[in-house]
Formats: sequence, C-alpha cells, structure tokens
Amino acid sequence: MTDIIVAEGGRTVGAPPSVHRRNWAWLGLVPFLGFLFLFLVVPAISVFSGALKDNDGQFSFVSMRAAFTGQNLDAFWFSVRFSAGSALVGVVIGTLLAYAAATATRPRWLRNLVTAFSGVAANMGGLPLAFAFLTLLGKQGVLTKVLKEAGWDLYAGDFGLGEVPGLIVVYSYFNIPLMVLITLPAIDGLKQSWREACANLGGTTWTYWRRVGLPVLAPSLLGGFLLLFANSFSAYATARILTQNSLIVPLRIAFYLGGDINAGEDAIGFALAAWMIVVMVVCMSIYWVARRRAERWRS
Amino acid sequence: MSDHSIHVAMPELEGPPTAPTAMAPRPVGKPRVRFARLVPNTVMIVCGVFFVLPLLTLARFSLQNVPTILLGSSTLFKKWSLVGLTKAFSDPDFWPALRLSLQLAAGTVVLTLGLLLPTAIWVHMRLPRARAFIEFLTVLPYMIPAIALVAGIFVIKPHARWFLNSDLSLIPFYVVLALPFTYRSIDAGLRAIDLKTLVDASRGLGAGWLTTLRTVVMPNMRTSIISASFLTAAVVIGEFTIADTLLKETLPRFQATFVGREPQAGYGLNLLALLLTIGLFVTLSVLTKKRDYKRNSFTRQLEKATKMTSDTTP
Amino acid sequence: MTTLDFISVRKTFGTNVALESLNLDVRDGELITLLGPSGCGKTTALRIAAGFEFADSGAVLVAGGDITRTPAHKRNMGMVFQSYSLFPNLTVAKNVEFGLRTRGVVGAQRHLRVAEMLDLVQLMPFADRYPHQLSGGQQQRVALARALAVQPRVLLLDEPLSALDAKVRTTLRDEIRRIQTEVGITTLFVTHDQEEALAISDRICVMSQGRVEQLGSPTEVYRNPSTAFVARFVGSMNEFDAEVTGASEVTVAGQRIGAPGAASAAVGSRVSMLVRPEDLSLAEVGLPGTVTSITFQGATTLVGVRLDVLDHLVSADVGRGAADQLQIGSRVSVGINGSNAVCEPVTVGLPVAVDEPVA
Repeated sequence: MTDIIVAEGGRTVGAPPSVHRRNWAWLGLVPFLGFLFLFLVVPAISVFSGALKDNDGQFSFVSMRAAFTGQNLDAFWFSVRFSAGSALVGVVIGTLLAYAAATATRPRWLRNLVTAFSGVAANMGGLPLAFAFLTLLGKQGVLTKVLKEAGWDLYAGDFGLGEVPGLIVVYSYFNIPLMVLITLPAIDGLKQSWREACANLGGTTWTYWRRVGLPVLAPSLLGGFLLLFANSFSAYATARILTQNSLIVPLRIAFYLGGDINAGEDAIGFALAAWMIVVMVVCMSIYWVARRRAERWRS
Repeated sequence: MSDHSIHVAMPELEGPPTAPTAMAPRPVGKPRVRFARLVPNTVMIVCGVFFVLPLLTLARFSLQNVPTILLGSSTLFKKWSLVGLTKAFSDPDFWPALRLSLQLAAGTVVLTLGLLLPTAIWVHMRLPRARAFIEFLTVLPYMIPAIALVAGIFVIKPHARWFLNSDLSLIPFYVVLALPFTYRSIDAGLRAIDLKTLVDASRGLGAGWLTTLRTVVMPNMRTSIISASFLTAAVVIGEFTIADTLLKETLPRFQATFVGREPQAGYGLNLLALLLTIGLFVTLSVLTKKRDYKRNSFTRQLEKATKMTSDTTP
Repeated sequence: MTTLDFISVRKTFGTNVALESLNLDVRDGELITLLGPSGCGKTTALRIAAGFEFADSGAVLVAGGDITRTPAHKRNMGMVFQSYSLFPNLTVAKNVEFGLRTRGVVGAQRHLRVAEMLDLVQLMPFADRYPHQLSGGQQQRVALARALAVQPRVLLLDEPLSALDAKVRTTLRDEIRRIQTEVGITTLFVTHDQEEALAISDRICVMSQGRVEQLGSPTEVYRNPSTAFVARFVGSMNEFDAEVTGASEVTVAGQRIGAPGAASAAVGSRVSMLVRPEDLSLAEVGLPGTVTSITFQGATTLVGVRLDVLDHLVSADVGRGAADQLQIGSRVSVGINGSNAVCEPVTVGLPVAVDEPVA
C-alpha cells in the first residue's frame, strides 16, 4: 500500500504511512469500545435521559430541581457532611500512617505489612465491615459495653453508627488504607537531599515541612481528599446495613428505584443519580489534575 | 468485599517497587531517635488496634454464644463453638446463592480477560497513541458509581427485559465495575515487559505470531493475569449494590438477609466471607511472588551437559 | 582564615569501618578533592563535615572552632548534592534565596544577592523557571548559586557532576573551579573520577577503605604515587612481573631496567612493576610484540601491544608520528622507562601467572 514517489534527481521516497492504515488499527478497539459503550455509556446517558423528564415524560428540569429539595436536600447535605468528615480523617491519619510506614527502618517488614494490609483493607468494606462494627460499636457492641462500664454511655446522646460520627468512624476503616496506598509513592518521592539541603541552608524540620515538604505533597493530599470523598459519597452497602432511615444519597436513589413511590416520582431517583454523577465527575477531574501536578514534581 | 466503586489496584502493580527513603533525620544519640519515632510509632499502634478490633469482635460474636449484656470476666471463655459458622450451610437458600456468585465470578473473569488482554496487547502493539485515551476510559467507571449505574439500568429495563431477567446479566456490569484496576493490572504487566520490543525480537528471530504469544507474551503476563483474575473474583464475590437493587440472589444478598433470620449464624457467614476475601488476597500475593528459578538455571543445565560429554571423553 | 580540619575522625556503620582515623587539613581558599572508589569513605567524610553524620570519635574544626557536635543547620556551610536537590515547588530565584530567608535577610537585600548569584552562574534569564524545566547542568549551577548565596564558610560538593553527560561534566567542572577561585572559598570536593580530580584540585586526597593513601598536588599524585593503589587508581598503569636484580634495578623478561622505585625491595624478590603508558615507547630495542589495537586520541595515540614473552597486553602512549606507520599485526619493540615506575612487592599466595594454563 505504500506509494513510491520518484522525487527529483531520481531519489525514491516512500510516502508517509497512509491514513488508511492508521484507521484499520483502530478497528481493533471496536470490541472494547463497543462493550464500554453498551454497558457503561448507555446506562450513564440513560440516567440523564430519565432525570430530565417530568411526570408526562417531556423534557424538563423539574426532577433535577426536585432532587434538591426537602428530604433529598437533607440527604445531600448529610452525605456531604459525613463524606467530607470521613475524607478528612482518612487524609490526616492516612498520611501519618503512610509517613510512619515509609520511614520505618526497624523492623524491615513493617512497611510491607502496612502496604499489604492497606491493599486488602481498602477494598474491604461493604457487608462484613458493617456487621463487624455493629459488634464493636453497635448498641450491643463490645466496646459500647466496655465504655458504659467505664462511665461513658455512647448512646446517651444521638450517637449512632448510622449518624455522621458513626459513619465517619466506619468509613475510615477503608478510607485510611486507601489514603496510605495513594500517598506512599508521594512520600517516597520526597527526596532525602531536599531535607538535607534545607538543613544545610539553615532550616529546621519545621522549615522543611512548611516550605518544601507539605507544598510538594499538597497536590497528593488534595487528590487524596477528593478520592476519599468520592469514595464515601458513593458507597452503598455499608450504609445499607448501618442506617435504616435512608438519609444518604445512594440509599435514597435505591429507595426511589424500589418502586414504592408515587407515579412519576421515579424521575427524581434518576435525577439524584444524575446529580451524584455530576459530583463524582467534578471530584475525579480535580483529582486527575492534582495527580498530574504531583507527578510532574516527582520526576 | 467492597461495595463502593472506587477501587485501587494492589500497590505492586503500580510499577517497580521503590525502596523506602529514610526521611527521618539520622539519629545523633539515643534520646533523639526515640522522640523522632514516637509519633509515627504511636500512630501505627493505634491504627493497628483500630483495624484489628472490629474483626475480633465479629469473630467473638460469631463464635461465642454469649450475648454482650452478659459478657464479663466470668463468661469470657464460655460457650464457644463453631456452630455459628456452619449453620448457614444448612439453609436452603445458601447454596444457590453461593453457586450464583461463583458463576458470576468465573464469568466476569473470563469476560474480563477475553476482552482486555487482546485489547491491551493490540494497543501496545499497534496503537500506542491510543494509550492515553484508553486510560481515560478505564477511569470512567470511577465517575459512574455502582448505584448510578444501576439507576441507568433501571431506565433501560423496560427495553431490555429479556436480557436483564437473567441472573448472569450482571456479568458485563461487573466487568465494567472491575475495569479500572483489571486494565491497570494488565497494562502494567505489558509495560513492564516492553511488549513491542519483545515481540519484534521474537519475530525477528523467526517465530510466528502464535508462537510468540505463547512463549514470549503469556509467560510474562502470568502475574498480571493472576492479579486481575483474583481481584475481579474478590470484587464480584463481595459486590452488593447492583445485586441488591436488581434483586439478584447472590451470596452478599444472602449474607444480608440471613442475618435477619439467624443473627449469630448470619454474622458468622459474614466473617467467613471476610476470611474468604482475605484468603484471596493472600493467595494472590503468594502466587505473584518473584520466583527463584535456580532449579532450572542455565549453569545447572550446562553442568549436566558437560558432565555428559566428559563422561564419554577418555 | 577559614580552614577545615579533620582530627582523627573515625566512623563505623555497624561492623563496617567507613573511616579509620582521618586526619586532613584543608587550607583557606583551597580546593581539596577526596578521590577514591565507592566505599572508600570520601562521602562519609563529607557528610560528617556537613553534619548529616556524626563522628564516633575525633573532631572537626572550622576556622579553629569545634563543630563536631553542632547540628547541620547551624554550621553555615554550603553544599551541592549529587542528585538534584533543588526544591521542586520553588522557582530558581526562590531556591537561591532559600538560605537567605531562613536567616531573615530582608526583601531588597535578598533580591540583590540572588541577582548577584545568578549572575555568577550565568543563569539570570532562568530566574522564574522551575527546576524540572532546567537541564541537569543548569540545575547544578542553581544548586551552586543557592549554596553560595549565604556566604558559607566552607563549600562542600558531593560528586556534583556524576549524574551529568560527559560534555556537560567538563564545562561545568571548569566553571565550578572558576567560581571557586573567584569567590575564594575553602572547598571540599568528593568524586570517584580521577580525571576530574586532576583537573580542578589544589590538592588531592586519595582514599581507600577508610584510609588516606596519599595527599598531595595533582602532579605529585600522578607522577609520584606513593602506593600501588594510588598508582593504579589515578591514570592508567601497565603491570609487569619483575624480579629485583640489583639496587634500583629490575629485570622484566630478561631485560634489565633501571627502576628507582625498587630501591627498598630486597634483591631477588619479586615485584609488580607499574608503568604509565607514556613511559612505554616503541623503540628499536625492547620487548618484542605484536600490535593488537591502535586508538587515535588526537594529540597522542594509544597502541595496544601483545608481548611475545609475557603474553601480556600493554598500552603505549606515543606522540605525534610515532604510530603513523603501524597497523594491527605490525611487529614492534616496546621499551620500558622505569624511572617513574612504582614497584609493589608481590605477596606469597597470589594466583598463578597469566601465561600458565588453568588445570
């Protein structure tokens, strides 16, 4: 398929790879792209098409707005509160833990242990985790009992595993390891020579962290926060076991999908899902950008 | 296994492991060492306790038939038994649920590998420019969490009832769910072996496509294929969100409803599920450890060869 | 007068003795190079001077003051690291002013000083760039400017050129020397590259396994190596098995060669004679051999010769014209000038000579 062009002076020059050849290669991606389209893109678009309807099936923003009122607004606010709280706890403790593991020199296997455990724990969650915490901090939980006997009645106020503080504690179980996993490479990337150069130029440990260490880590920390936030915001199974009041967004979506609602209100469920997608896209986009920034400094 | 949509690949798959850089200041004398390590060590111990405690209490609840109210120093060692763990097995709904989950896991693994391996190899060989685009695509499932995906399925439901009625229709959605880190696992494996160079070398030495795939590509991909498979299996066996909303009777669904019927046994079943997940990860790390090929090393083979020839020389 | 003194400095890491007992006086304004292979202790010595390691025993003095136990950030020394140590989140200008800010130097003064430093390393146009936008050589120049900005008493350089390309290495090392002499700062330079050391040092301290092998000017170290290690490490050497056959005389393959270096060895003992390539000549009288390689280097030509009697490969550095008629396979005679040779006694138990077949 290569055309041979005889240029002036008798030199033969091969034509640049023809555009046709390039197109054929893209065909190889059709199965994958097709699959993604069918099972990811179509449902995603459908969410929006279902959301942008009103009771008569006409295009309208009614449902999108309704998703932001009354109980649904409460749910959004609740979700945001505990997701942000859980993300914050995860970032702070996760970073500390990652730093501890990265700088551990004795014993040697400590870092590997932390990494391996984080790999498992970050993907844990869901049902067993919820039940485990019920046995620990639930109304009949062991720790609850111990604390009661020590004088602190956990359930005297409005503490509950399904409330914001409780959810923050439970979600931290997988948020902290997740943060460890994504922050360890960033902490490894903090070169020792920066620390030494800073000392050499007269800076103390505090100077180092304030002017070099934390600024360099900042994109990773921000990215981590967003990832943990998105993670917590969209989690379903754990909450399903812990709360009965379906006051978080994923549970409300399930409630609307469940069908036990007035006719035409199912569009609100789709609207909630649509808003959730919007939130996730925003979070993940900023996370992506932050990660790019962090990588640039690491190289 | 997790319900939330954001997963992270196992750290080993991100790239070559980095040695820990000693960031802590070098110790001058003993007291300073202890102080510098005080905070990190405390953090690690506290976290360690935090992570272990719930598992312990879950185990206690499952294995000890003493209600928490009565729990005390006198009752601590009474009434332990394995009944809590095995009761689930005699429930009629358990085995179908387990079977379904295993089928889904197997199907998802097969579909994932069948779809991703050729695609990843194709991209590495023929379309390196597409790499960034494909990577972006594999991040998309993060943006469409499971519950939103399910909402979309509900919209389509009236039009695709014939498909969605089958329990196995979960498989493609599970493939999507696991996509971010199965693709990354396979991609990392391909990048680590610099596929194009190896294939060119192999073909330059005269091997055909099939031989190349069989003897050069696949053996080097063993680790990533195993990783992707195990991770996928772990995801599927623990996936709750989609199964719950689409009312498919998978193992996690059974885990949730059984607790209502038999509390202790239900918790015990969840404990087993947890141990299964951990077991999968442990098996994975054992299988993907760097192997020592000493037994078949070249020098050994050469020894054998020279021994054979020297036995025949006068 | 800023001098840097190591007094009986000893440092061990576990069972590994990094420095046995280092005694070294760096004079005011001079550039001393610590030269040696990896593990010889040169980097340890530098890090002890900087304060990143602390000596187990002994003392380190700067201008007579004891700084042995002073923490690193109070020592007021400038350091340039091997791997790029510029703070990635700060611009070039902000990197250079870092030390000034920690010392509380105010705005205008700071900016003037930064400008002065950037001028010194000729990187003014890059003031607002970030480190990752600079080449390796440029980054090291910024590192140098940053180290000098605070007017340190001593400048420490830890293999600053090792990570750079060959061409950049030569230009940068000359520039470092230029700046060092211009500013007149006492400098401790660490490297494993003997060519670098010879090019820029006032004095060289050759080290091996935690000990000082020789301390002297580049000429001394090159022409009069005091130990066989120094002879081998600095420049290249040819080695011959020789027998001492008289006062200051050895015999190599039947040829008698005058060698003052053998004066201390007993007659009849075996020595290893180390001769520089430029002390070998393609003469009419000498050890016969066949040319195996000819490497044209510009001013000189390196000729590899396999000697008949010794089955030994030697390289002879010959000047203009002498190698023009030679080809691979030509027959030549190699003359040995032993006046600069180092003779190292051969200890019992060494492996068998090269020309005997392995059993």
